[in-house]
Amino acid sequence: MQSTKAIPRSSYSPLRRAFKHGDRPWQGLIVLVSILVLLLVLGIGWKLWQGSAQARSALGWKFILPTLDANWNPALDQFQAWPFIYGTLITSLAAIVLAVPISLGVAVFLAELCPAWLRLPLNWMVELLAAIPSVVYGLWGIFVFLPRVVVPFGEALFSVLGHIPLLGILFTGPIPLSGSSRLAAAMILTIMIIPTITAVTRDVLLAIPNSQREAGLALGATRWETIWQVLLPYGLSGILGAAILGLGRALGETMAVTMVIGNSIESSPSLLKPGYTMASIIANEFSETVSGLHTQALIEIGLVLFAMTLILNLFARLLVWRAARRTPQEVRA
Amino acid sequence: MNKKLSVSMFVLIVAAMLLSACGTAATPTAAPVVPLTGNDSSVPTSAPASAATATALPAGSVTINGAGSTFQQPAMSQWAYGYSYVDPSVAINYQGTGSGAGKTAILNGTVDFAGSDSVLTDAEIASGKDLQMFPILAGAEVITYNLPELDATKDPALILDGNTLVGIYNATITKWNDPAILGLNPQLASKLPAKQITVVHRSDGSGTTEIFTNALTSFSSAWTAGHGTTVQWPVDKAGNGIGGKGNQGVAAAVQNTPDSLGYVEYAFAVSNKLPFAQMVNQAGQTVTATPDSVVSAMNDFANAFTPQLTAVIVNAKGAASWPIAGYTYTILHMTSMTDCVKAQKLVSFVNWFLTDAGAAKQATTIGFVSLPSAVQQQVLAKLGQVTCNGQALMLK
Repeated sequence: MQSTKAIPRSSYSPLRRAFKHGDRPWQGLIVLVSILVLLLVLGIGWKLWQGSAQARSALGWKFILPTLDANWNPALDQFQAWPFIYGTLITSLAAIVLAVPISLGVAVFLAELCPAWLRLPLNWMVELLAAIPSVVYGLWGIFVFLPRVVVPFGEALFSVLGHIPLLGILFTGPIPLSGSSRLAAAMILTIMIIPTITAVTRDVLLAIPNSQREAGLALGATRWETIWQVLLPYGLSGILGAAILGLGRALGETMAVTMVIGNSIESSPSLLKPGYTMASIIANEFSETVSGLHTQALIEIGLVLFAMTLILNLFARLLVWRAARRTPQEVRA
Repeated sequence: MNKKLSVSMFVLIVAAMLLSACGTAATPTAAPVVPLTGNDSSVPTSAPASAATATALPAGSVTINGAGSTFQQPAMSQWAYGYSYVDPSVAINYQGTGSGAGKTAILNGTVDFAGSDSVLTDAEIASGKDLQMFPILAGAEVITYNLPELDATKDPALILDGNTLVGIYNATITKWNDPAILGLNPQLASKLPAKQITVVHRSDGSGTTEIFTNALTSFSSAWTAGHGTTVQWPVDKAGNGIGGKGNQGVAAAVQNTPDSLGYVEYAFAVSNKLPFAQMVNQAGQTVTATPDSVVSAMNDFANAFTPQLTAVIVNAKGAASWPIAGYTYTILHMTSMTDCVKAQKLVSFVNWFLTDAGAAKQATTIGFVSLPSAVQQQVLAKLGQVTCNGQALMLK
């Protein structure tokens, strides 16, 4: 398009034309990088699948089926992963239940109500929480958070909820005096995922056009009603996405959880008892495995965790799509 | 449009530079070893290998890589440092990757020697890789406890025996004032509380756990969970068990939990001033963990070595023997080493830390126990049988 000047025929070679504007190399580079990501995910999945082949054929479905009397005894070649699957699920879900309301509150405050002078420091603080290494959370957890916060909170939960039929199963106490329990892991995870959920939710709320707020107020809604009935539904898909992001982080968190959960294969499903998660059993046992089957069983746990996060992400996508269809604009996180 | 092209070229060039930088960064570490493999064919023709290699090689020119047990890592790093003064031409790298990873590494030929707390399995020996284990040090384990009811300065140490310990980890003994514990501790009878015992164990797979469960297995047939770097603790199922990661994790859990107990390495308990229980051994004597009582246990089992030079030294018969102890091993190839300069240096290093008084002192100050001579002789005899390309190596 740049000129009609006569250019020697030779400079019009197809190769040269393809590279002249730089579009093709860019395209190639970007496609290459995208394929690399895809290959990485497939490669990890394949390796986990392949590395656990013997365990899968030797242990079968019993390996991941729920049971109250699971055996994980590498010395005797007995492997059942349910206690770890349960531990991961219950601590992550409990963390989400605790973290979403708090994060939502902080995000609404930051986006809608916060005076300007407080906004920056508060933003910093929230982001700082995300920057603390998880091993530091673990240390702080063992020496401060568990004895001071988790133990009293756990005791209160036990006395209030522990005797309700059905729900009480989750709150059968008493909590160990050291505080090492699934509840401790869930509460540490809560603190760790609050920054993720808060930051995304805040950005979602800030991305909502002002016309929505003005429309709400113009209809006579109070500020509270505007936030609750206009803004939150509008940003629902993004907020769901934020929660799923948090859940993803909670599922895979290893170090802090290992340090506070008690690493004990319990038959009780209670939150107030010590437990174990998939990530922590792998971290704990992989370096000193007893037998080939033990290694394979640990890799199979990795496979289950991998599949779980994949399914969760698919589920999250579906949720976000459904929610996005209901909201008027294409607001996404 | 041209700008786009130049930007993309820039990205490609940077990427290429990064890649090539990685390539060059990797070579220097490999470089010092390369000339040696060329050397070793010429060495035997000019002079006896020992004399030539001791003087001719520049400092740090032979790199010997080892990996494995984290338990012996403190001693190995001390020795690697100490040996750099004995023979400056050798640089020894030891990585604490865990015994299992160490064994895998030497099977795959990625390291020259491995450290391990657990014995090679029959399958690993049968893989035809001529691997041999050499006990190099022993370590003891102690039961540390947290009883706020006791006064650490005035009250005597808690006393336990094998059956009681099995009972506690089996959750058949659940209270501190259980008759079994009271019977062993008449002096503390009035102070032991009617409270639940919180039992702490290692959560990570560990040689420490292997030694401890070896002991439990030997103490009583009531212990049915087996022995290994990881077992399933019956006390967990009973709801009173807590797993801590590493010695630190166990110690922290015990210190934070009133009325708890857990097992840790003797060295760790001593250096952190943790209180630990005395044990009644098989001979019925009450003993405490000391280097002497561990040496006594090693002597009790001095003639119990397998051809692989492994021995379990728990629940020893001697009146002075500490009942919970175990060896940590170095694993070497017996015949298949091909780089004879390196092989000679490696054997010399092992010989040095097994026999040198300074090396022994380095290990004992950090809580390990050196081999008594009855054991040491057998280990050195085996070490003398290591060959390289069919030629014997010297112990010096």
